Amino acid sequence: MLEVRIKSALPGFTLDVAFSVNQEILAILGPSGSGKTMTLRCIAGLTRPDEGYVKLNDKILLDTATGVNLPANKRKVGFVFQNYSLFPHLTVNQNIGYGIRHLPAKQMEDRVAELLDKMHIKQLGDRLPRQLSAGQQQRVAVARALAPEPEVLLLDEPFSALDSMVKERLYLVLQAVQYFYKGNMLFVTHDLTEGYKLSSRIAVFESGRIVQHDQKEKVIFSPSNHTVARLVGFKNLMEGFVIETKESTALIKVPELGGSVRAIMQNNTNLAVNQRVTIGIRPEYIQLRNQPSSENTFLCTVDRVVEGVTATDYYFRVNTVGTTQHYITAIFPKPASSSIREGQLCHLYLPPEHVVVITD
Amino acid sequence: MAESYLSPLLISLKTVVVATIITFILGIAAARWMAHYSGKFKNLIDGLFISPLVLPPTVVGLGLLLIFGKDGPIGEFLSLFNTTIVFSWPATVISAVVMSFPLMYMTSLGAFEQVDSHLEDAARTLGASEWRVFWSVTLPLAWSGVAAATVLSLARSLGEFGATLMLAGNIPGKTTTIPVAIYFSIQAGDMNQALVLVGVVLVIAFGALAAVAYWKGKTYKARTTIMNRERVE
Repeated sequence: MLEVRIKSALPGFTLDVAFSVNQEILAILGPSGSGKTMTLRCIAGLTRPDEGYVKLNDKILLDTATGVNLPANKRKVGFVFQNYSLFPHLTVNQNIGYGIRHLPAKQMEDRVAELLDKMHIKQLGDRLPRQLSAGQQQRVAVARALAPEPEVLLLDEPFSALDSMVKERLYLVLQAVQYFYKGNMLFVTHDLTEGYKLSSRIAVFESGRIVQHDQKEKVIFSPSNHTVARLVGFKNLMEGFVIETKESTALIKVPELGGSVRAIMQNNTNLAVNQRVTIGIRPEYIQLRNQPSSENTFLCTVDRVVEGVTATDYYFRVNTVGTTQHYITAIFPKPASSSIREGQLCHLYLPPEHVVVITD
Repeated sequence: MAESYLSPLLISLKTVVVATIITFILGIAAARWMAHYSGKFKNLIDGLFISPLVLPPTVVGLGLLLIFGKDGPIGEFLSLFNTTIVFSWPATVISAVVMSFPLMYMTSLGAFEQVDSHLEDAARTLGASEWRVFWSVTLPLAWSGVAAATVLSLARSLGEFGATLMLAGNIPGKTTTIPVAIYFSIQAGDMNQALVLVGVVLVIAFGALAAVAYWKGKTYKARTTIMNRERVE
């Protein structure tokens, strides 16, 4: 169990976060410069925050209130750096063995061999880092961090320097690591998909604060506020106010759409009539209809089409009265949508179970 | 007259070897300390360490005389044992060390600062003490800079004249180093002797420059090679 509380003044904002990690993989998600790397460095003891408390299992690593500040080399925190930081003058074997040199020679050799095997890089032992591809370097970096059996493994944007094919393979490697490494894992990423695929919980950072810390499904599909919604890909956020509530559904008038939207509430939030809310829906969940159905359907005109490889982005203009244009973004997988052209009129249906209501 | 060539050569050799060893240790220690020091006096201390490089050698020599001379702090202490540094062979070593120290310090410090701090951080997270980080990561990766620094300070020690003359004087067979011998040869009108000694110094100095250029090239090459990674899949 890792407990962290950090407060530190940084150029541009104040880092002020508190969270814990308990037998799970936590993804710290957020844009560049939101304090994610700084947080990891404070946990590892590489940087000292203005105020902080870090407790790993039963050991207090940092407590600025009482003056405890264990140096990095005594914290048993594994760290995988963004650019791997392999020692360029040492071979792969020597890199991985660096943290376990105090063990008897045979034991050290066995451990290195074991990790080479688990990372699928058995034949690379005598190579130097500059002779390895980026994906191979990454695996060596992970093996090196795991060799001394740390109590928590921190990864700082471990995949950001890799191209997408190599990334996919390494996601599998990182997942496999869980089978033999039983400690906590904390990794930092700015990539939503990566964060979702590899973690069980996500903490969203923005300008030095945690804006939501929850199971990944909740963060991505039921964001609790505007900031998170924006960061996790909700492109259709619209203002509205509550007309009526009934058990777990709510009817919300949305002027931008020129009508009302019914939402099925995921959390047990109590909404009051006339309460101002924001509704949102992920672009992937909007559906096409041939004719207007009874509710949640809006007539739109196709404004722009951007074709992707597996899916296509559609930008619709809502057909409402008034001078302001409002847009809805939808993503339809190919080939189901290939017949839709710019200028065409469509009926868009917003399924109530995928409409998210945000009350901040 | 071979002795008049041999003697300065031998004295210089002894002086340079001993001085370089001392400067090597002191310079690296000082550079290591300053690389991690972030106190209020950083600029002051740095300035102090570099000062012999910018001050005129005779000024430094005078300073040394004030310290080691009979009225100076160390001079007085030594006179209790009936010895003195002034006009003795150790004085050539002290002058050489003081004058070459800034080069060793500055160049080594530059080399240490060029080592990627993430590598040192990685070593720390893997359990290495600061000592081990320095010996196993920083120094090996900075070695060509340190080698260049050593060669530079060696060349500087070899050519040291002003401070040496003031502190050690010109005592043939005892403190007359090559540069001092060259000066006094010309004073005495013996051009041949001077030229031979100059030749010796030039050979060593150019050898040093070539070595420094070679080592600097090596670091650059190593860096670009890492950048254009030779991959073997």
